[in-house]
Amino acid sequence: MSDYPNSLKEVGQSFPRKEARHKVTGQTNYTHHIKLPGMLIGKIFRSTVAHGKIISIDTSQAKAYPGVFAVYTSEDIKTIIPDPYYGPAFLDQPILAINKVHFVGEPVAIVLAEDIHIAENAAQLITAEYEELPAVYDEIEAMSSDIVVHDELKPSGTFPDLKHLHGKKNTNIALDYHLKRGNTQAIFDSAEHVFEHTYHTQQVMHTPLEQMVSVADAHQDQVTIYTASQSPSFVRLEIARLLGMRENQIRVKVPHLGGGFGAKLYIKLEALVVATSLLTKRPVKISLTMEEQFYTITKHPTTFKIKSAVDKNGKILARRCDVWWNGGAYADIGPRVTQKSGFTAAGPYDIENVEIESYALYTNRPPSGALRGFGIPQLVWAYESHTDQIARALNIDPLEIRRKNILKEGRPQATGTIMKGAEIEKVLESVAAKIDWSKPFDKGTGTIRRGRGIAIAFKAAVAPTTSTAIVMINADGSCILSMSSVDMGQASDTSMAQIVAEVLNLNTVDIKVSQPDTDMTPYDMATLGSRSVYHMGKAVKLAAEDAKNKLEKMAQDLNLSKPYHFRDVFIKHYGMQAGSILGFGSFIPSYTPPDKKDGSTLNATPFWMVGGTGVEISIDTETGHITIDRLINVVDCGNPINPKIVDTQLSGAAIMQLGFSLTEKMNLDAGQVTNASFADYKIPGFNDIPLVIENEAIEAYQIDGPFGAKGVGESATFGVSPAIANAIEDAVGVRINELPMTPELIFNAMRKAQQKS
Amino acid sequence: MHSFQWVEPKTLTEALDFLSMDDPDIRMVTGGTALMLMMKSGVFTPKKLINLRTVQGNSDILIKDDHLCIGSLACLSEIEHSPLVANELPSLKAVMKKLSNVRVRNVARLGGALSHGDPHMDLPPLLSCLDASVRIQSKNSERLIKVLDLYLGYYETALENNELITEVLIPLKPDYQSTYIKCTTRSADDWPALGVAVNLHLNQNILEDIRIVIGAVCETPTMLTLTQDFLKNKTINDSVLNEAANIALTEINPLSDELGSSEYKSHLVSVYLKRAIKTIINKGANHE
Repeated sequence: MSDYPNSLKEVGQSFPRKEARHKVTGQTNYTHHIKLPGMLIGKIFRSTVAHGKIISIDTSQAKAYPGVFAVYTSEDIKTIIPDPYYGPAFLDQPILAINKVHFVGEPVAIVLAEDIHIAENAAQLITAEYEELPAVYDEIEAMSSDIVVHDELKPSGTFPDLKHLHGKKNTNIALDYHLKRGNTQAIFDSAEHVFEHTYHTQQVMHTPLEQMVSVADAHQDQVTIYTASQSPSFVRLEIARLLGMRENQIRVKVPHLGGGFGAKLYIKLEALVVATSLLTKRPVKISLTMEEQFYTITKHPTTFKIKSAVDKNGKILARRCDVWWNGGAYADIGPRVTQKSGFTAAGPYDIENVEIESYALYTNRPPSGALRGFGIPQLVWAYESHTDQIARALNIDPLEIRRKNILKEGRPQATGTIMKGAEIEKVLESVAAKIDWSKPFDKGTGTIRRGRGIAIAFKAAVAPTTSTAIVMINADGSCILSMSSVDMGQASDTSMAQIVAEVLNLNTVDIKVSQPDTDMTPYDMATLGSRSVYHMGKAVKLAAEDAKNKLEKMAQDLNLSKPYHFRDVFIKHYGMQAGSILGFGSFIPSYTPPDKKDGSTLNATPFWMVGGTGVEISIDTETGHITIDRLINVVDCGNPINPKIVDTQLSGAAIMQLGFSLTEKMNLDAGQVTNASFADYKIPGFNDIPLVIENEAIEAYQIDGPFGAKGVGESATFGVSPAIANAIEDAVGVRINELPMTPELIFNAMRKAQQKS
Repeated sequence: MHSFQWVEPKTLTEALDFLSMDDPDIRMVTGGTALMLMMKSGVFTPKKLINLRTVQGNSDILIKDDHLCIGSLACLSEIEHSPLVANELPSLKAVMKKLSNVRVRNVARLGGALSHGDPHMDLPPLLSCLDASVRIQSKNSERLIKVLDLYLGYYETALENNELITEVLIPLKPDYQSTYIKCTTRSADDWPALGVAVNLHLNQNILEDIRIVIGAVCETPTMLTLTQDFLKNKTINDSVLNEAANIALTEINPLSDELGSSEYKSHLVSVYLKRAIKTIINKGANHE
């Protein structure tokens, strides 16, 4: 702790996670552990119909059940919150259903009791009568259906990038994003080859192992919320708005999370626990079961029709993308997913003429939101499958066609934004080198056939968003970092501590990172979209530099010469070991919203994420079973702050996407999820992990990132699904265009191909 | 969850005293791995649970009168790691490795695994195929029935409300070789979409006897008697196996569910039946 180094000593080191020891020894406190005096437990009574008018709700038996403290419906909520609708994009979601229900599983009433089992039993005694309405489940049908999920759309205006949303009637389209560059139609009319394919993705869920949980201790003038949330600052803002209070009257505390992946963003249970705590004048806690999570937030199912004009050499001349996002009954952040992912729907290719139509649609399914990739994996699934199908049709090597079209540094992307700091080419070449693409490949014999596939993708970061941080140096020279970024398992606390330690020349292990508490930790937009290391990392670095400058100034004024211990500065200044130095940092990157007419912008994103995947697979041709023999994940995440953490993020993201590619699917029957448990919704287990996983963060430097770093949480999800589909075609000559790619689907495709030939 | 009574008998006799012929809501619990899922989903609401974990003994694994006899309270992991089982019935040891996971095997007991009646279990088809019997006891009587006869329908067994399985008896036939292979269609640790158990006696390439029991695709473990009859006294080659597979498909009518369509499961049966027989014949091994 003496002087400042010339080279990096903390950043770039693979320090173990700060919280790891406490987690594995059971010492970490989660929201589930919280018990407050007099606390009631809430159990939710949910809709059994997908779309219907509420005729009546009978809570009398539940109220009479011994031990029940209260039973509430929306009528009770409205006595304290007259307009109880929330949502980041549209104010469409009521705290409890009002007049209508829009999906099976929608919260209709709540029972409160001190004992969870009493609440549970009483909730089963509630009955509701509905006048059932016809329901719409499919995103394409929702475009033109007479069935309208919401009578009127009500934009919330919370985020500047969604300011353009406006209220509409008689439509299920929550947002439509249009991009037009060049003249696609003219090219399609004259091109040598035109290819059109349609791809589908299924509804899946985040399945955080720590299920959603919130506790509220609400009083007339002061509300405290303990919640497993990725967005404490947003929760404060939205609860303050609902209650008509100031932000300093709402305190949101977030302990460690057991996984989030986008499920725990915005308002989930917070409004319900706050409202019922106000009504009962008691603290209230709601913990969801795994089953209930399937009715809370999911990943958008999509249909993506993609059409390309290509010359005989494989150069893509024009591309049209039509994407329909199945947002379910409430918009959540779907419109933002639709728009941000719309920017890159045409893929990381240099195409002069591009047209993109992207629609966020309401349906009577459980709501969809952000899930590790903010829509990008759904798009890459389509455009990287399409790339291979074009290559095969033109008899061009799949790597060559990508090389021929790849978007290079300095060239404009579909929105018109000039590519900067996106190592797309390098990532592609690294995948190709690792998989030995140029060398002969063992295609297998007999009933086992082998194939390999690659995919390359990029993503624009969510913008514009703000992060702020405080670095406090104590009188003994120890240091505390205060921020509202949430470490939900991605180890951001450790990376941020490394940034502080680097700037202040301290040891990472000695930096304390305080848990988000909106009374203490300053604003952060949310922990989502791989934004933390870049945005918050930048704010943290600025805060540490601010603290450092203040300390140095103090030392200078005291005529202390380097090297000195921080403590000596304080002792000399305050006359004893006393006092604090506060450094503050704030960061908001620049951003230009897309033009309303043609969707163009010269500044679409503060940074680009790049991810490439290579797979080698074996297929049992008798049954259609796939084995992933080798999985290669390569990303550009700038300069890794902590290489080991980056490595685990790559494996984790890729394995998660492997589940969405091969085994996971929410099955719906009349809107009801029929496999809402781990017994029947299968995420990958240990025996599904590929034998060989190779990860690489290519050498890169994000020019305006903290120590050259940028986000990495999602990048390894991008290419997994299409790389596998491409490998399947390589192995057995059939194309799969829907997820998950089950053995039965592959087997049937093979059988169909056999019958044809 | 509704409240229920929890009792902890010290002996099986005491446990049997708690059971009632007329009350299906009184059940025994050992590992609880299946019962807990049913209780969580509200499929089963107990009035009284009898904890058999407090019962001492009845978990021995030993050879008696040419039978491998296993007490019904033996943990699946005890069976998995028993040298006697490894030596006498390698196929029974082998099945354990892929039966659910190590945490479940450490608490689940043999009796519970056989009494549950979920068609997607691994032990019922294998033990049926090995011609095993179960000793069933009630307060006043005892009976011995074949494992194959234990299953009457979907989650429906021949056990009366006042009965419990006390012992499993597997005949040891040194001339026979057996295997059980299964197929999952989602994750590797999923419920099987299909389980195939084969137990056969080969004499100079001639199949002198064969037993085939299919699990998971139908409501109960199903013995393929026509296929067995066809294969008996045949020399095994590809065309014989193909014909056998075709006959097998006439004997079953797989259920379509989230694990696969009826057609696909039929196809899996034909593939895995051939594989199971070949596994034994080609490798001469007792397990995969």
